[in-house]
Amino acid sequence: MSLADGVPHEAVVEKTVSHNVKERRAAWILTGPALILMVVILLAPILVASLLSFTNYSLGNSGFDWVGFRNYEKLFTRSTYAKMFVATLTYVVTVVPISVGLGLGAALLINSLGRFREVYKTIYFLPVMATLLAMAIAWEFMLHPSIGMINRTLEMGCGTFLERIWSFMANGCAGHFPVWLGDKRYAIWVISFIGIWQGFGFNMVLYLAGLTGVHRELYHAAEMDGARSAWERFRLVTWPALGPTTVFVVTISCIRAFQVFDTIEAFWPQGGGPNKSTYVMMFAIFEKGVQQNLIGIGSAITMVFLAFVMFLTLIQRWLVERKVHY
Amino acid sequence: MAGLSIKNINKRFGETEVLKGVSLDIADGEFVSLVGPSGCGKSTLLRIIAGLEEQTSGDVQIGGASVAGQRAADRNLSMVFQSYALYPHLSVGENIAVPLRMRRMNTLQRLPLLGGVMPGKTRRAEEIAKEVTHAAEILEIAHLLDRKPGQLSGGQRQRVALGRALVRDPAAFLLDEPLSNLDAKLRVQTRAEIAQLHRQLKATFVYVTHDQVEAMTMSDRIAVMMGGRILQCAAPETVYDDPDRIEVAEFIGSPKINLLPVELSETGQVHLLGEPLSLTTGRRTKAVGSLGLRPEALFLTDSNAPLRGQIVHTENLGSELFVQVEVNGLGSRITFRTTPDKRASLAQGATVGLDFDADKALIFDAIGARVRDTHSTTTSKTEVA
Repeated sequence: MSLADGVPHEAVVEKTVSHNVKERRAAWILTGPALILMVVILLAPILVASLLSFTNYSLGNSGFDWVGFRNYEKLFTRSTYAKMFVATLTYVVTVVPISVGLGLGAALLINSLGRFREVYKTIYFLPVMATLLAMAIAWEFMLHPSIGMINRTLEMGCGTFLERIWSFMANGCAGHFPVWLGDKRYAIWVISFIGIWQGFGFNMVLYLAGLTGVHRELYHAAEMDGARSAWERFRLVTWPALGPTTVFVVTISCIRAFQVFDTIEAFWPQGGGPNKSTYVMMFAIFEKGVQQNLIGIGSAITMVFLAFVMFLTLIQRWLVERKVHY
Repeated sequence: MAGLSIKNINKRFGETEVLKGVSLDIADGEFVSLVGPSGCGKSTLLRIIAGLEEQTSGDVQIGGASVAGQRAADRNLSMVFQSYALYPHLSVGENIAVPLRMRRMNTLQRLPLLGGVMPGKTRRAEEIAKEVTHAAEILEIAHLLDRKPGQLSGGQRQRVALGRALVRDPAAFLLDEPLSNLDAKLRVQTRAEIAQLHRQLKATFVYVTHDQVEAMTMSDRIAVMMGGRILQCAAPETVYDDPDRIEVAEFIGSPKINLLPVELSETGQVHLLGEPLSLTTGRRTKAVGSLGLRPEALFLTDSNAPLRGQIVHTENLGSELFVQVEVNGLGSRITFRTTPDKRASLAQGATVGLDFDADKALIFDAIGARVRDTHSTTTSKTEVA
């Protein structure tokens, strides 16, 4: 276009250079707002929290001292925080596999139904939609040691054959049934149970979505290849096809399990259950950072929490890219 | 290897009757194509043979024994699916090995980690690996054994699906439109390869397709299906040259057969556009019918042409030339075949006269059944009148 039109060569070069500069500027202008928002809303708070975790800052104080790794040192040496890690990990390790397994089981059962699919889906999804804080109050009533529905129901078993075959029943009838929320042996398991009850419906919906993506002809191919039992078809077709869904479901469940807070806050607003047996990380952050205004230690727990979640996310990325994408 | 026998199969999906009393005998080692337009029930029939679908009534026999109530996994048939249905998480080698693993290893030996320490596992695994390599060599995919299906082209996937079917020794191979996801060039190539494979394995093949060319080129016999029935089952030549029904004549052959309305008189004389043709039938009743003329049965002529018309379109395929002619007094087009060197004289709009080879003319009655026993009369028109 250039030489034939009689435009000098240099002018063309200059024109393309200025064109490039313009394009680059436009690109920065267009991405700028998103970049600024990302930095201000997402990255800056994390950076601030990580800086604060090395200080003894309290809200309202005019200044603070750098304390180095002292906050982290406390986290990994004091028994309260050891209990925090034990409670959190117990909760995660219990809730994640069971809620994922139940979610998958429920999804497979619902998927095999011809009718009433929507009814079952809605019923299982109800706890997910309900506010956990409100549900916690209902659970608190049910778990009340003397007037609660659960212990009343258990008492009905007294005097029957159950007393002979189940030592828990015998002990309960002889003395009294557990003070569920006040007993350090039971508290974390009760919380886990409520977590599973509340969360598996969500996993079920994700698995149902994953199941719609399984190619029907693969089941026929499996049948022709000699996969006779439902278990063989599941191993050969369903489970591999659900790989990406499973990675996502497990990661989401882990993160949600790490974030458990509302049931504990509702049951024991004064501090993490009997003998700190349900003193989970999220509650610790709330207690230290908000209730006691110890921003430094609160930030340090936040950073450890973030590290856990980051670690899980990285594992998920790795699995998705390496193992379950075909 | 075994023959198949299908006896009076009916299939209903609720109110719709998909198969209406289909019977078919397939000899051991025979290649039979089920061909027909979409919705004619050919895939359903194949799935009933496979055991993936259950017939409403009727019986399927494999090697002389009824397989009623036997599930697909126990029928010892192999199937190649239209979508290939390869397991995406398994490598090519593992995909091909699945039918052998499922049949020869027990549940414990197939377990991912524990399976390795189960007795007899290593020996079986070696056997299977040998057979997988053998199957892969037949199909020339031995170099792909470690890849995943996602990394293969359509043609390669198709071969893997074939490999998975032939790795064990099934009673028969069932193929459900295996070429329809391939591009035109590859389809022609794979067509020849499947026919070659059939000669090599000497196995029974049942091949479902909607493409009459595939059916014509590969099969020992073609079963033309329409509306849930087999209209004709015969060798490709017979189906093409001697169709039993007008639907079969229309479906087989490209370009389509030309159909012209004719009247049959009491004397058996055939009339076209009121004029008698040099053609009589054995039927001695007055009736209307159709005259079927394949494009190659027509030829150009100058004098005494029974058909005249204007050229509206020509298609040059290189080796042959198809010409569409708008016939005077008929209002419809007919297609005839000629050689491309005649092209110069066949300009669009030119008037041409056409005659036909009476031996190749096919007469059908008003309901589409073939009227056989036709004779060409060499006498001229005036004498007949």
